[in-house]
This record gives sequence, C-alpha cells and structure tokens, in this order.
Amino acid sequence: MHPWNSTVGSASLKLMLKLLPRLFQRRILIEDSMKSKVASLFTALMALPPPDPQFVLRGTSAAVHTLYFSCGGSEPDIPLLYSGSESGFIHVWNLRTHRVDTALDGHGRKSVYCVETMGGKDRLLSQGRDQRICLWDLAEGRTSVTDSVFTEHVGFCRCSLLKVAQGRWLMAMAARSLEEIQILELPSKTSVCTLKPEVGAKLGMPMCLKLWQLSCGSQPVLLAGYEDGSVVLWNVSMGKALSQLVCHQEPVMSLDFDSEKAKGISGSSEKVLSIWSLNEQQNLQVYKTHELVNAGISDITIRPDKKILATAGWDHRIRIFGWKKLKPLAVLDYHTATVHCVSFSDHSNPRERLLAAGSKDQRISVWSIYAQT
Amino acid sequence: MAVFDTPQAAFGALRPVCVQLTRVQTVENVRQLQAHLAGVSGAALQELQEYVLFPLRFALRVPGPKQERLVQSLVQCISSVLAATCVKKQELLQELFSELCTCLAPPPSSGKAAPLSEELKLAVIQALHTLMHSAYGDVVLSLYQPSTLPLLGFAVSLLLTLAEQEKAKQIKISALECLQVLVLQCDCQEHRQLDEDESQQCGDLFASFLPGISIALSRVIAGDVKQGHKTTVSAIRLFYLIVGLVMADKQLARIPKSKEKLPVEHSRISELMIHRGPDWTKSTAEKLSLLLHKVVESSSVHPHWKVRLELVELVHHLLRNCSQSLVDSFSHLLKALVGLVNDENSEVRSRCNKVLQEISEQRIVAQSRALADVLSENLHSLATALPRLMNSQDDMGKVSTLSLLLGYLKLLGPKINIVLNSMSHLQRLSKALVQVLELDVTDVKIVEARRSGPPGPLQQGVQKGRCQKKYFRFFTEEKVFQLLQQVCRVLGYYGNLYLLVDHFMGLYSESGLYRKQAAMILNELVTGAAGVGVDFLQEREVPLNVDDLKGSITSILDEYMDQVNWYLVTSNDTEEGSPEQSVQHLGLTARAGGTSSSVVLLSPEPPVTTRTINSNIWQICIQLEGVGCFAAVLGKEFRLLLLSALYPVLEKAGDRTLLISETALGTLADICEACAYDSVQCLINENSDYLVNGISLNLRHLAYQARASQVLDTMLRHSDASLLPLVEDVIQDVLSALDQSYNSQASTFLRVLQSVMTALVQWFGMPSAEEHQQTDKGHSRALSQGQQEVTMTSQEVERFFLDYVSQKQIAEGDLPDLEEEEADDAPLAKPEPNTDTEGEAPMPSHAQLARDVMERCIHLLSDGSLRVRLKVLDVLELCVTMLHPHGNHLLPMAHRVWPALVTRLINDDPLAVLRAFKVLCTLAQTCGDFLRQRFSKDVLPKLTSSLLSQAPVSARAGPVYSHTLAFKLQLAVLQGLGSLCERLDMGESDLNKVADACLIYLSAKQPVKLQEAAQSVFLHLMHVDPDSTWLLLSEVCCPEGFEPPHASLQPVKLSGMGRPRNELTDNVLLLLQRLQQQEATGPKTSTQEASPS
Repeated sequence: MHPWNSTVGSASLKLMLKLLPRLFQRRILIEDSMKSKVASLFTALMALPPPDPQFVLRGTSAAVHTLYFSCGGSEPDIPLLYSGSESGFIHVWNLRTHRVDTALDGHGRKSVYCVETMGGKDRLLSQGRDQRICLWDLAEGRTSVTDSVFTEHVGFCRCSLLKVAQGRWLMAMAARSLEEIQILELPSKTSVCTLKPEVGAKLGMPMCLKLWQLSCGSQPVLLAGYEDGSVVLWNVSMGKALSQLVCHQEPVMSLDFDSEKAKGISGSSEKVLSIWSLNEQQNLQVYKTHELVNAGISDITIRPDKKILATAGWDHRIRIFGWKKLKPLAVLDYHTATVHCVSFSDHSNPRERLLAAGSKDQRISVWSIYAQT
Repeated sequence: MAVFDTPQAAFGALRPVCVQLTRVQTVENVRQLQAHLAGVSGAALQELQEYVLFPLRFALRVPGPKQERLVQSLVQCISSVLAATCVKKQELLQELFSELCTCLAPPPSSGKAAPLSEELKLAVIQALHTLMHSAYGDVVLSLYQPSTLPLLGFAVSLLLTLAEQEKAKQIKISALECLQVLVLQCDCQEHRQLDEDESQQCGDLFASFLPGISIALSRVIAGDVKQGHKTTVSAIRLFYLIVGLVMADKQLARIPKSKEKLPVEHSRISELMIHRGPDWTKSTAEKLSLLLHKVVESSSVHPHWKVRLELVELVHHLLRNCSQSLVDSFSHLLKALVGLVNDENSEVRSRCNKVLQEISEQRIVAQSRALADVLSENLHSLATALPRLMNSQDDMGKVSTLSLLLGYLKLLGPKINIVLNSMSHLQRLSKALVQVLELDVTDVKIVEARRSGPPGPLQQGVQKGRCQKKYFRFFTEEKVFQLLQQVCRVLGYYGNLYLLVDHFMGLYSESGLYRKQAAMILNELVTGAAGVGVDFLQEREVPLNVDDLKGSITSILDEYMDQVNWYLVTSNDTEEGSPEQSVQHLGLTARAGGTSSSVVLLSPEPPVTTRTINSNIWQICIQLEGVGCFAAVLGKEFRLLLLSALYPVLEKAGDRTLLISETALGTLADICEACAYDSVQCLINENSDYLVNGISLNLRHLAYQARASQVLDTMLRHSDASLLPLVEDVIQDVLSALDQSYNSQASTFLRVLQSVMTALVQWFGMPSAEEHQQTDKGHSRALSQGQQEVTMTSQEVERFFLDYVSQKQIAEGDLPDLEEEEADDAPLAKPEPNTDTEGEAPMPSHAQLARDVMERCIHLLSDGSLRVRLKVLDVLELCVTMLHPHGNHLLPMAHRVWPALVTRLINDDPLAVLRAFKVLCTLAQTCGDFLRQRFSKDVLPKLTSSLLSQAPVSARAGPVYSHTLAFKLQLAVLQGLGSLCERLDMGESDLNKVADACLIYLSAKQPVKLQEAAQSVFLHLMHVDPDSTWLLLSEVCCPEGFEPPHASLQPVKLSGMGRPRNELTDNVLLLLQRLQQQEATGPKTSTQEASPS
C-alpha cells in the first residue's frame, strides 16, 4: 500500500510542524546533528513523492475513450475492466493478470466511446462512432453482437443506461436530429419518448446525458448537458423540460449527478467546474463553481459511495476532489496526453476499490487511492 | 551296527547295559549305554525312555561325592536320550529338571559355587536346553506353576550366575540361550504358541525374576567388550524378550486390581508371587528405565555392528509391546534409535530406517499422546542444547546431533504441531536453527567480485536450480547443511504452514541478525510444505492446500521484495552509490511512514562496513533463491506472481555484484522451468508488459531510475523487434525522465539509450558494416580506373591516355558507368522500400525513436563530464546508423548536431576527439556532401594549423611528452584524420592540406606513435588518391630514377631524386613501398571487376 494513501504522512507532518519550533529553540532538547535529521525528515514529509499508478495497462494501441469496471463478483469471479478504444476495439482486461482476455471488434474500426454492462459481466452495451449501439453476449466465451441500435447521431454524446426493473432498462441517447434526445426501452428497443427542446431554445446538440431515478420505481429523470453550456432536467415520462440552467459558456463535456444530495457537477472546455443543485421544486440552481488551473475537462465521475470525484483533464492530469466541499485532494500526473475518461471500480470490498483513467497516450492507468476513506 | 526298530528288540539290546550301569556307575558303563543308544530308533527309545533314564538318574542320585567325569557323561547321556524322545509326564519333567539343576548346584556344605569343570557346566546347560525342547507343550507348562516357582528361580539364578561370571564364551552364550528357552522365548519354531491366559500366567511368574534377570543382564551387556559380541547380542535379546513379556501393555491391561488369593497351602509361595498392579508397574518401569539407559549407553556405541543392530531390535520390540508401560524410557530408546539412523554400518542403517518407518506407519507415536510428549520433551531439550553443541562439537558430532533432531521431527510426524503450538518449544527450536545457520560474512571477495563488463546473454551463465555455496560460521561440512535443510523441510511438511511462516517472518523482521537465516529457513519451509525433496517416514494426514501455500508465498514475497529488504547497500562505491542511496533513504523513510520512519531517520546511520555489505549481499542472494524455490513449488501458478516478482529479479540480474547477478540469473532459470517457458528470453518476452509497467513506474522516481534503466537494459538485450510497440512506449518515458534530470542522471540514461539504440540497430538497422564495404568497393572501383599502373609498353601508354581522358571526364562530373554501378548498388544495399525517394512518408517508429534519441544527444554533447560525452558520441553514432535510410530526416539532424560536434573535434579531450572522428565517419556515409564542405571550412583549417604549430614542439620534446594532453590530442587527430578523409571523399585541395600537415610528422624526430599515426593518414590518402600521394612522397624522397618509355617524352625530374637521406626518408620509403604493394595487388582486382562492366 502506498503511504500517500494513508493519513499517517499528513498526521506526522502536522506533528512535526507543531514540534519544530520547540525542537530548534531549546538546545537541551536536541543536538545540532539531530536538528539536521529532523530537518531532513521534515523535508521528506513535505516532499511526499507523488503517488504512482498501481499499474498501467498497455496494449490497446489506440487512444482509450471509455472505461467500465466489472468487479462486483465474489471470489472465483475475475475482476474485469472494459475499455473502448479509438481503433474500434473493446478490450476486456483481466485485472488479475493485467492482460487482455478478449478483444471485441464490432464497430467497424470506428472509435468506441461508451461501454457499459447490463446486469452481470456477460451482457455488454457499447456505443461507437459507426453510429451504432451494440448489445453483446459474452457468456461462455462468446463474443457476438446480439442486437444493435442505429442512432444516426454523429456527435460524441454517450448514451445513458438506467435499470428500471429486472431485465428492463431505459436508455437515453442523442437522436438523429440535432437537438433531440431519444429514450428507448431495452432490450425491446421500443421508443419511450423523444425529448425536443422548445422551438427557439438554441441549445445545440446534447453533449452528455445522465438518466437517473430517485428510488426504485419512481419517475425516471434525465439530465442533459448541451452544446451551449446549459444543463437541462427532463421529465422522461412527460417528455417535458423541468428546468434549465446555464452552467458554462462552452459546451458541457461531462456531468455526473448525486441523487442523494441532489447535487450535480459538470465540466466543459473552460477552466471551471460547475456544481449545481436540484431543489424541491425541481429547479436547477448554481451551487458553486470551482476554478481550475488548466482548461478542459473531458470526463467527470463521482465515486459510487459519493465521497470523492475524479476529473479527466485535457492537461493530461486526473484530479481528485472531495465531493462534499469540492476540496482538491490530489493531482495524479502520469499520462502524457489528454485523459479521456475516468472510472471507479465497483469492488464490493472498499479496500480494493480502484480508479482507472484512459488517455490519448494509449495507456490506461489504474490507481488505488483513498481506498480507505 | 544293527538298528533296533521294535521296542522288544531294543529292550533286549539295552537291558544288559542298563543293568550293568545300575550296578556299577562308571564312565565306561555310561559310554557303553550311549553306544547302544545310538542303535535304537527314536520310536523304540520313546517306549523305553523311562527305563533307560532310570539307571542314569539313579547314578546321579547316589549320595556321596562323585567323579566329575562320570557326572558329565551321565548328563550327556541323558541329554542324548532326551534329544531323541519327548517327555510326556509332568513329574518326569520336574524331576529331571531339578536333578539337572542340582548337578550345578554347589554342595550344601560349602556356601560357594562348586568349582566344577567347564565341560560339565556346558553339558548340564545343554541337557537343560534339550530337556526344555523335548517336553511336550502342555507338559512344559506344568513347570510354570506357582508351585514350581522356587525350582524355576533356582534354575534362573544358576544360569544367570553362569552367564555373568563364567569366563568361557561358549558357556555364557549357552546359558543365555538356555535362559531364553526357559522363559519360553526360544528362537526356534518348534514351540507351541501360548494363548493369552497362559502367557499372562507366565508373565506373572517371570515378574518375580525380572529384577534379577534384568540387573544381571544389564551387567553382562555393559560388560567387557572382550566377552565377544555374541554374548552381548544374546544378552540384549534376552533382556528385551523378558522385559517385553513381563511389561507387555496387553498383559498389564488385564491385571486385576487386587492380588488374587492363592490357596492356603501355597501361602509361602504366594509371598514370592508378584502382583503386577499399577504401583508395581510404575516402580518397575522406573528401575527399568535406569537399566535401559545403561544398556543403551553402552551398546549404542558398541564397536560391533551386530550389537547395535540388536539394540535397534530392542527398541523396536519394546516400542511395539510396552509403549505405555515403559513410556519414560523412550526418551533414551528413541534417542538411540534415531541416533543409529546414521550408523556407519549399512545394515544397521537400513534396519533402523525400517523400524522408524514401521513405527510411523503404525502410528504408534500419533496415537499415543504420551510418546509424543516424550518426543517433544526430547526435542525441547535438544533444541536448548543445540546452539551450545553446534559451538562446541566437531562436524561429526554436529551431524549426529542434527540427525537426532531430524529423527525426532520425523518420528513426531503430524504430531509436530503439538510442539509447534507450544510457544516455548517453537521459540527454542527456531532460535536454535537461526543460530546454527548463521552465515560467515567475513569474506571480502564476495564484496569485491564484480561483474566484468556488460552482462552477456542471459543464457550463458544460467544453470538452473543451483544454489550459491554458503559459508557458515559454525560448520563447514556440507552434510550438516543438508541435515538442517531436511529439518526445515520436514517442519514445513508436517507443520502448520501459516504458524511457521508467521513465526519466521516475525524473526525475519525482528532483527537484521536473524534476517538471512530466517529467510533461508522460510525458503526451505515452503519447499518442504510442497513436499519437494522431503525425506519423510509417513504421509501427512491433511494434503496440502494450494491456496494456503500460495497465500504464504505471496506474503513472503511481499516481504522479501519490500523496499527495505530488497534494496540494500551492496557496494561501497561512491561514484554511483551515494547519491542514489541518500535519495533512496529519503524515499524509504517517506514510505515507511509513521513512527518507524522517525526511528529510521533519527538513528545515526551506521558506517557501511565490508561485513555489512557482505551480509546484505547474502541476504539478497538468499531471497533470490527463495523466489526460485517458490516458483519451483508453485509451477505454472507462479505465472500470476510474475506480475510483481519478475521485475525485481531482473533488476538484480543486472546488479554489479557478481554473486547477486549470478544468483538472480539462476532464479530466472528456475522461474523459466517452473512456469514452463522455453528460455529466459521467452520468459522476458512474454512478460514484457509486466516489466514495462515496472520500468515505467520506477522511472518516475529519481532514486529508482538507475535500477529501472538496468532492467530495461536487460530486457532490451533479450527481446526482439516484436516488442517495439511496448518498448517504444517505455523509451518515451525514459526520454521524458531524462529531460527532467539532465544533470544528475545523464550517465545512467545514456547507458539505456545506448542499449536501446544497439537493440534497434540490431532489429531494424541494415548491416552497416556491409554497406561500408559496398561503398568502399564503389570507391575503389571508381578510383581504380585511375590507378592503372604505368608499365612501359606502348599499349599501356595508350591506355594511360585513355584513362586520363576518362579521369578528365570524371573530374568534369560526367560519370556514366559510375552512376550505373550505384544504381546497381542501391537495391542491394537497401532492401527496405522506404529509401530517400519517399522522404515525406511517415517515418517508421524505430526511426522516430532514433531521431528522438539523437535530439537528446545534441543537448548532451556538451556535457561537462568526459564520460558522458564519450557515451553520447557512441549513442550518436548508433542513431546515425539507424537514420541512414531516412536521409531527409538525418540531414536536418546532422545540421543541428554539427556545431556541437565541431567543438568535440577541435577542442576536447583526445578520447572525445577520436570518438568524434568515428561519428563523423559514420555520418559521412550518408551526408558526405553536406559534411565535406563544412569540414573543410570549419574543422580542417584549425586541425591542420594546430598540427603544424605543434609539430616542432613534439619533435623537440623528451619522453615525458607522451603523457601530455597535447601529445594525445595530436595523436587523436592524426589517427582520425586519415579515415575521415577517405570517408568524406575530400577534395584535392583539402587532401593536400592534410598531407602537408601530416608530412612533418613522418619525421624521425617525432615520437614513434605520432609517426605511426601519420603513416596511417598517408595510407588512407593512398586509397583516396594514390597518384598525388605518390607524387607528394616522391617529391620528398625518390629512391630511383625513371626512364621515359619513349625518347620523345621528357625525362622525369622529381625534386626528391637524389636527395641525401634526411629525417623523413625512412617513413617515406616505407610508405612508397606500401603504395607499390597496393598497386601491385590493386589493379588485378580492379581489372577483374571492371571486365563485366
């Protein structure tokens, strides 16, 4: 385990800071030679080496656009990580051996930018730049596409999946005409509704989607980030916009939402992270903004336990924040190109939890940080 | 003699002699009877048994003193009768028995034993022996009634006295054998098996004699060696037989609580009878324990092997029959048994092993808690004494002590866990092992032995499964170590692995003093747990759980490869070690965190002594061996652990300490075999992703960069082009790491860059040497046309003119056939499709890498350290070779390199100058035109002027001059200049400049080395332009005149003609001679080659 992970380092640093003046003033207490030791300890604590990835997955030989963990199974199950790459391959990584188990080719060598499992690791959904969403059957070593949806959408908007009942999912995706969002029911592929902004709203294309519901059985709600920088809350069953909030000046690149705290966060190509909340009246309001050093956020993910969040930056860095107060916790510097996506694992044991980031430099870095907290 | 078959006939024959004997008891008469007996058949004699015996017995019973010889013959005669017949009557048996015994008894008057002759004693003993054998089964039992106890006791005591006090071996042995028969334990098979009740009864009876017999026998056993081994063997046998009978667990278990009342008439006898109740058993066992101790003591070291063999039998017999009653004695007995495992006699050894095996198989120990306790007690005391014994004993003694320990463990088998669960036992044992295994760390050689040069291919030095020979403080014998190994393995085999691993890991981390030994023990424990190389007596009860084993191994590996334990100071070189160490120290404390960190840092850093270094080296080696062991144990399962284990091992394979790198190579071989890889190369290739991961992560830390680069180095040397994508990835990391630390880590990284480039050249580069030759040939071909020797025929004069014309054409740039040749050469030399023509096409990644590396080289060319500069020049040369096919990219790079390179050529250390010349030569192959101009403009003038100005200095200088920088510089320039001129294909004026500058160095006044270097310049010049060189040299000195071939031509006048011999003459003549040789061989080849074109 990396010490950076533990709180010991910072605790002893605090202690040192407290003791330091005393140690250096009173000669009886400490000899000169000791002082230098103390000083070196101090510098050692100050200059804690930046954390390293736990390991790095290489071999996609193309930029990585999306990552998805499947680690929830118990012991004999092998933890897996799915990655979608620019070359159109979906790689299934075995997290025990750190090697590719299978490589799925189903998007005609066009970039894959969304991968997600549908209940268990045997059914997979993937979305690619060939304008198709494929459903995979991976049970017993099969690698076949069982079904696919033709989106006719040319953008990069990732679809969003929500399980509404056993074996029944809702999927939101950007539709053919520019501003529209379509909701489908899976696996039947029947259209539930189409969300069209009011005439003259000029939202632009949808950029990112998040389908959620407060509790099982309640109304599904969709959050959508648009090209003009606004986030819109849609009531899916009525097909009506409930609220709209302009969060950014630039297109919203990514958003995530915490339904417990009724708070969400979005990032764009600017230097700002925007945190907004949803009040009782189903109105979105700006809660806080956070200035970044470098512009451009390509992905934001809140950890399932809602304690921390990670952002994927165009400045090659992954940033970790506390979700409660948006306190910056760490900057993970490893990649040598834009980070495209970040994802937290779904390990049932919190200590094993991982963070993975995929980047344009063709590597996937896997980190074990703040696993204890 | 007639044989009398019928009783009547026999009677007729025997009667007279019997009567005669009854009347007169003489030896003669007895002999007659005996002679007649021989003619009587057994059946007939049986009928007449009593009749015949009567006169004999009568004779014995006659009161008054008798002649000894008579008694002897009587007894012998009785014996022969008995041998042929059976005794069917109880009375007869008892009477005979008592009569025979009386013969030996002292006369009642004298209290002492009668001074009888030995023959008589022997005869009586044999007669008794025969009597016991001739008695019918049921009849014989009548002797073993309480009522006959006194009689029996009498006989026993008589025989014991004989056995103990007689001198003659024969008597002693016979007495013992007779006793054996008497206690119904005869070796022969004729006797009827006693049923349980009967034997119980006998046991009761014999219990009375037990003290007497056992004491007397123990004295016999411990007696003088001179009594012969047979006596001792018989005594031992009798001893265990009687003890085994009386103390048998089976019998004792059936003894009623209270003594049963005998009928009144036997009251006196009943006093003699013993009740084998618990109290008696206990006290007897105590006494026997003393005796047994005595017996074991004396016989386990008996010089004759048969005695020791019998001792094994004793232990075996008693263990089988009396494991409960005699439990206290077993510590001695087992000690003896276990100790005899290593007896010098093979028969004893094998029997001993068999007995041990049997004991284990029958689970005597496993079933009896008491025995296990005895064993563990023994073990404890042995473990306590072990360190002391190891200190004081010689190697032989150590071997026996350790085999004893091993024997205990083996015997305990699965019960070992009882011992291990007791903390004090475990602690004793482990401390003892740890102390014994202390290594000798005083050898300085281990510290000093360095790997020489760059590591060769891994395959070379690799021999699998080979452990480094270790030197221990307390022993030198290899056998001792093997025993210790077995001890650990047996522990691992039977013991609770988690418990053991936990305990020894505790010791490992407890103190640096124990670390090496604990690691060694852990390695053996795991090996043993897997059942590899364990010599065990019985299978363990629970088969090994692979997951448990894997878990243990994983935790041990984690500990071994922890920063603190894996990265130790193994050299006291300051040049590379110190900065790394200090940084490492910081990093280490930061990692350790918490309380321990402050301890680590605040404790004053101990000075690194040779001893410490030696110890560290050994620790790493032992840990490496451990990794090998674990791999062997887990087999293919180990592949999963390669993720974390391969990188550190490979790191050590590149260590500079010979011992470590050798051990690591061995470990790699072990891993290869275990994980079923064909070769180390295969192992590295297939796991390069793991390695790359490790390298890339380690490169992020300044302190680990050196090691990471070492691994990369090793990896590159053993992989092939298929790995390029992975390698490329990590090399980018290296470059970016280098970018961040040009100052501190340049030399480390340059080593990597060099191996990277070497690998790339090897994988992708065209064979550059061949190309050299190709172009060389091109040159020589082109030039050879101008080299046609001028011989004095008119045809050749004509040819000369023709050549001259063509030369002229060449000079004007019109080169028809030369171009043709180059066109021919191009596809040959460049098999790759992407030649200069498609320059704009994207470069292949390896070329891109080469360019990236070259870029860094430009920065580093002007580094402060000469070492670095030299290395950079080497790398640069490789880069240039690599970029050869990509001229469009090479030229701009060359342009950028130029300024820095010029400085190296003009103004640097001689070594660097020389290397720079080499780089320039390589560069010249592709960018000749580009360089020619610049060289003649930027470099040449400075070089020639410095050569010219320095020449007088060196000509005047004394012998010390050759140590000065100026000299070395001159030498370097002269050595480099020639080949460069040739490679660059310099123009005539430049060549002249060079020649002029070098000519003065041909002077005999110059130091010899400079002369030689200057000669080399001219030799190169001869290749480029032989004619002008010839002319130049001839101008200086011309030994012969030239006759014009035709009168119309003017006579040749050279200024060198007829000059007196001067300082230059010798060298010039030498050169001219060489030129002549060259021309003599040169044209031949050139005409051959020219003919097809």
